[in-house]
Amino acid sequence: MPLRAIAAAAVVLSLIAVPRLPAQDSSKSGQPSKGPPTAVMVSGPDSGRRAPTFRLPWANKDGVGPADQPYDLALDRGKTVVLAFYPRDFTNGCTAEMRTFAEQYDSLFGAAVVVVGISTDPLETHSRFAASLDLPFRLLSDPTQVVARRYASNDRSGYLRRTVYVIGPDGKVQYRNLRFNALDPKHYAELGAAVRRSRGG
Amino acid sequence: MSRPPSGALRTALVRLGASAVLALGAGQAAAQEAGIAVGARAPAVTIQDLDGTPVALGQYFGRKPVLLEFWATWCEVCEALLPSVRAAHEAYGDRAEFFGVNVTVNQSPARVRKYVAEHHPPFRTLYDSEGDAIRAYEAPTTSFIVIVDRAGKVAYTGVGASQDLLAALRSVTAP
Repeated sequence: MPLRAIAAAAVVLSLIAVPRLPAQDSSKSGQPSKGPPTAVMVSGPDSGRRAPTFRLPWANKDGVGPADQPYDLALDRGKTVVLAFYPRDFTNGCTAEMRTFAEQYDSLFGAAVVVVGISTDPLETHSRFAASLDLPFRLLSDPTQVVARRYASNDRSGYLRRTVYVIGPDGKVQYRNLRFNALDPKHYAELGAAVRRSRGG
Repeated sequence: MSRPPSGALRTALVRLGASAVLALGAGQAAAQEAGIAVGARAPAVTIQDLDGTPVALGQYFGRKPVLLEFWATWCEVCEALLPSVRAAHEAYGDRAEFFGVNVTVNQSPARVRKYVAEHHPPFRTLYDSEGDAIRAYEAPTTSFIVIVDRAGKVAYTGVGASQDLLAALRSVTAP
């Protein structure tokens, strides 16, 4: 078999592998994994790896963003970016998570940090959700899970997994939690600490 | 996320990695939102109450059924669920222990105390400041209810305002 074909097969296999997701970034927390995922997914970029760039349409509490001006991760190079994938607008867990982000924005993130929430919800729903919680950040719509798939946050249920990524100014992942729990104060504390590290604090 | 009460079969399907659509029904979240499995041994965590007194849940397991509700003062679904919890306590409060585990996210003890004083929820309030119970029971959201049977095993889990707690408690208190 030609080398090129072997390499291509290896790439395909790596993409369809079903990884055992760590409860946390295991290199940092040392916590064991908790059960297998239900979806076939890529493993997503681990800490130290370059975060895949993407563009997605967005909405905020003031309305839907211009269609010709999607959110573009590449344009935020030089800043710390927090990606928060979540299942669904207006549901209990997601409301808890987004409310916490909003109410503790300064202590968790700070003004210089870019935070975006990502789910499969349509933009109009995003805008109503953002307005209902007075969210000071944008919500991105990923209905086909094309971006979620690249960040190991997709799921066959049609709703995204709840995960968070902290991307440093160099465009590399500095922290991730692939099993973020919207009710766990420890998870928020770890996220806030990761953001502070990324900001050099 | 709102979902109907779980059963052993459905939980088994979840654990086997069945699709989240089948496991949780339309409009439901990913499998990581499912909570502790029915049939699992209930974790004997220790949480403080609002006065700072440690409460070891394990001391109740094996003696009588225990109902745990994970809640918060800002949780509208929990408020909608409250009448069902009251009815369940009225019917089974003498045969089962009721605990409300406050999730402490966007909460303070003072805020919780004020809510308890005003609403008188029919359970002993615990304040899970470190998230120990949340992690142990894999609580996916507020309004998550876990009922532990006399043997100390999880007999029921559910979330949302429409939970048939009377039926769930009837099954674990039957002679």
